Amino acid sequence: MLRFDRVFRDGGGFDTLLVMLALGYLVVFSAFPLIYNVVMSFQEVDLFSLASFDRPFVGWDNYSEVMGERVFTPIFWNTVQFVGLSVFFQLTIGFGLALFFQQDFPGATWLRGLFLAGWILPGLVVGAVWGWILAGDFGVLNYVLQSLGLIEGKIFWLSDPSVSLYSGIIANIWLGIPFNMILLSVGLAAIPADVYEAAELDGASRLHRFLTITLPLMRAQLGAVISLGVIFTLQQFDLFAALTRGGPSNASNVLQYWAWQLSFEEYRIGQGSVVSVLMILFVVIVAFVYVRSTRNEHAG
Amino acid sequence: MTQQITLSGIEKHYGGYHALKGINLDIPKGQFVALVGPSGCGKSTLLRTIAGLETISGGRIEIAGRDVTAVPPRGRDIAMVFQSYALYPHLTVEGNMTYALRLKGLSKAEAKARAAEIAEITGLSALLQRYPRELSGGQRQRVAMGRAIVRDPAAFLFDEPLSNLDAALRVHMRAEIRKLHNRLGATSVYVTHDQIEAMTMADHVVVMRAGVVEQQGAPLELYDRPANQFVAGFIGSPAMNFVPGRVGEDEQSVALDLAGSPVLRFAGRRPSGEAVTVGLRPEHLELGGAGGNSLTLPVALVERTGSASYIVSDTDLMIAATERVADGLGQVTVHIASERVHLFHPTTGVALR
Amino acid sequence: MLAKNLWTRWVLLAVALVMVGFYLFPVYWMYITALKTNTETFQNPPTFWPHDPQFRFAEVWVKYGLDSYIKNSAIIAAGTVALVVILGTGCAYALARVRSVWMDLVLFTVLMMQVLPSSLMITPIFVAYNQVGMMDWPRTGVVLAQAAKVLPLYIVLVRAAFTQIPKELEEAALVDGNSRMGAFLFIAVPLARNGIMVTAILIFMQSLGEYVYARSLITDRALQPATVGLQFLTGPNASDWSGIMTYSAIYVTPILILFVALQRKIVSGLTSGALK
Ligand SMILES: Nc1ncnc2c1ncn2[C@@H]1O[C@H](COP(=O)(O)OP(=O)(O)OP(=O)(O)O)[C@@H](O)[C@H]1O
Ligand SMILES: [Mg+2]
Repeated sequence: MLRFDRVFRDGGGFDTLLVMLALGYLVVFSAFPLIYNVVMSFQEVDLFSLASFDRPFVGWDNYSEVMGERVFTPIFWNTVQFVGLSVFFQLTIGFGLALFFQQDFPGATWLRGLFLAGWILPGLVVGAVWGWILAGDFGVLNYVLQSLGLIEGKIFWLSDPSVSLYSGIIANIWLGIPFNMILLSVGLAAIPADVYEAAELDGASRLHRFLTITLPLMRAQLGAVISLGVIFTLQQFDLFAALTRGGPSNASNVLQYWAWQLSFEEYRIGQGSVVSVLMILFVVIVAFVYVRSTRNEHAG
Repeated sequence: MTQQITLSGIEKHYGGYHALKGINLDIPKGQFVALVGPSGCGKSTLLRTIAGLETISGGRIEIAGRDVTAVPPRGRDIAMVFQSYALYPHLTVEGNMTYALRLKGLSKAEAKARAAEIAEITGLSALLQRYPRELSGGQRQRVAMGRAIVRDPAAFLFDEPLSNLDAALRVHMRAEIRKLHNRLGATSVYVTHDQIEAMTMADHVVVMRAGVVEQQGAPLELYDRPANQFVAGFIGSPAMNFVPGRVGEDEQSVALDLAGSPVLRFAGRRPSGEAVTVGLRPEHLELGGAGGNSLTLPVALVERTGSASYIVSDTDLMIAATERVADGLGQVTVHIASERVHLFHPTTGVALR
Repeated sequence: MLAKNLWTRWVLLAVALVMVGFYLFPVYWMYITALKTNTETFQNPPTFWPHDPQFRFAEVWVKYGLDSYIKNSAIIAAGTVALVVILGTGCAYALARVRSVWMDLVLFTVLMMQVLPSSLMITPIFVAYNQVGMMDWPRTGVVLAQAAKVLPLYIVLVRAAFTQIPKELEEAALVDGNSRMGAFLFIAVPLARNGIMVTAILIFMQSLGEYVYARSLITDRALQPATVGLQFLTGPNASDWSGIMTYSAIYVTPILILFVALQRKIVSGLTSGALK
């Protein structure tokens, strides 16, 4: 007992105890659900067997059922589009803004910080506001586009199946810009000014300096920001809940929203788990690559 | 004399690195001990071992007659002054000084009274309500001292406490610390890489290298009778000159490996023909002087500090002279007493007597 | 040269203001719509400044039962923050202090846990809650799940705050007579309190906006938070836009005020921890 007391009050046991506290919690509330998800994807789970501990295992049935679903392919491609376009525009706009705010002018840092307001707002509120901006008949976006002569008739962003996915993408780009910009600003600030000065003395033009100095030195940072962008985009759920709810008829549905719908609207929990498992697998791979790359950089 | 700190066979491994190799040390009550050595030799590690901040891989530590090998820092009754001072930035000077006392269970009033008393001694009375960030470097140093003194511990541990101060203040604080030590009758262990600090402050100097104690003893003993070439070179400033040589047939003189093979007599006898390293302190090579050993050296450079002139020969021998030296000296003749000629084994470096 | 420089600086500032204004237009639009009457909302062309500003806040508050929604949001967010601070602070500290292969592994695990999407974790959590009878305390269930979601971010950011504190300060405390626990609670935590507080506020704001877990776990309207309440009103068939925007404005104004007040600290906290 005395030994126990000594190790925990004065020795390394204290650190272990502190780590175990948080880690234990994460194991129960994150790691366990993760594994349970996999288990359920092989079980038949519905509204009636929900609370039961004894559920039949069905092998790969859930998987083949999900893959065979008629909407699976369109939803999959929607997800690819959603992630690809969101990440691309978040990154380019965010990078542009980061470069702009890197310049020296009064209030640059403070103004740049204001962009984070977009990031701090609840996704559901952002969805609601964009829903109103994008509204078909009275939405301000249609009005602006029409007055600029860019479109003829009104676009029904939320209810037209051919464009409804873009409503989610637009709102998600808006949400993701600040984070991209701030992280890239950190990277830009870390490039020493004398490198640029040396290049300027060497006669490199502005564009040349960007291509030969900024981009190569930002490579690691860009990689990190892209991985984080993919991860955050795959976490996006609230916007869909507020904007289109995946509709009309799954035209704007993405896998993470569909997984939830399967479980909570159709109570096909086994199948919902299948989609979750596939998605989580993908997210974890991206995260693994990201964490590995940042850690290597620190060691080096 | 009672031993206040006893270290026996201290071993410390960091993974595969052997940082302390069987250190033995006895520190009597009231003694001021300096640990010196080059960077990375393990001084700080040894000190932190005494404090209990590092667990040891082997050996035994006693403080005030009590085995504290397995006792955590808080149970060892020691106070430590860190190189960075480690003042608690969120507490005032008074808060810093009373922190340990409150942990000991003293009441607020008692702790404050005691802090005020020590602040008086250390000249901090006017600063008690300030925060560390509002103090100068020297004042911070004093607070660090005050925080240690107020504890009235079994021993004080210092890890290069003066290295962040400017040269003048360092000399001043050197004397202050030593005076405080005398006044408190405390037992102190003082780590420094500055041998002047060690020589001037300590009763007992421990010279370390690569995790072992090379020699320990009174400062002047280390200066007069270094146990080996390392200690001889480390103690004394400017550093001792080393020249290869060979003992002559009379077994009482050595021929230096310099142009003209000058011969110096030394005290004692060594077998004839033995190869040795000869050690000559720059300040023992006296200009002028007469009789005994003399040595004529071509001059390459003269450096003047005002109080001394450093003459560097073409073979990089250094001569420290107190008199002013004229420019344009072609060569100088210096004298050295035979009992001041040191001999060392050319490979092991052990002193030969 | 200098004059020209000065001039460009002001031009840049002007451009920056335009960009910020453009970006924050949705926020502006939310507030403006909230002030419009329902008829003005549906005017074509839309008005960019309300002709007849209405403060419908009290009306909307009552009409949509915001008192219960906001209260539940606050309870969930506060509960999450409390849990996360209690569980995460020590872990962040240990991860900042101890260098070992084990700690690296823990940090790696924590970083990986950070990326799990709520919408995918909710299915197993929901089923498990049903099995253990947790559905009788749905708000607690949401707090527990949300805490697991944000705990990793908290640990990563607070760890960065702890690494700023010199190790010697704690060693001094140990020598002064403290146990490890004492040095942690009375030296390390007070010194990292800025980082801890900013991160806690960040977590609080994030949890105020929590939707997936609340939507899936809480069926009783009286226990639902503001996000779920808002979601009922939105969607392709929404009509009371002025009311919805008023609802949103009531909900996010405190968050925005808090954000603007702490902007600098939040940004620096995020940037110090996020990429390390
Ligand atoms: N935590 C540690 N892990 C591994 N090696 C260490 C650690 N701490 C110290 N060492 C190694 O132990 C040796 C002794 O270090 P120590 O700090 O005692 O040196 P020092 O004599 O105080 O030097 P300095 O004068 O530069 O302060 C060094 O080689 C150092 O690299
Ligand atoms: Mg040291």
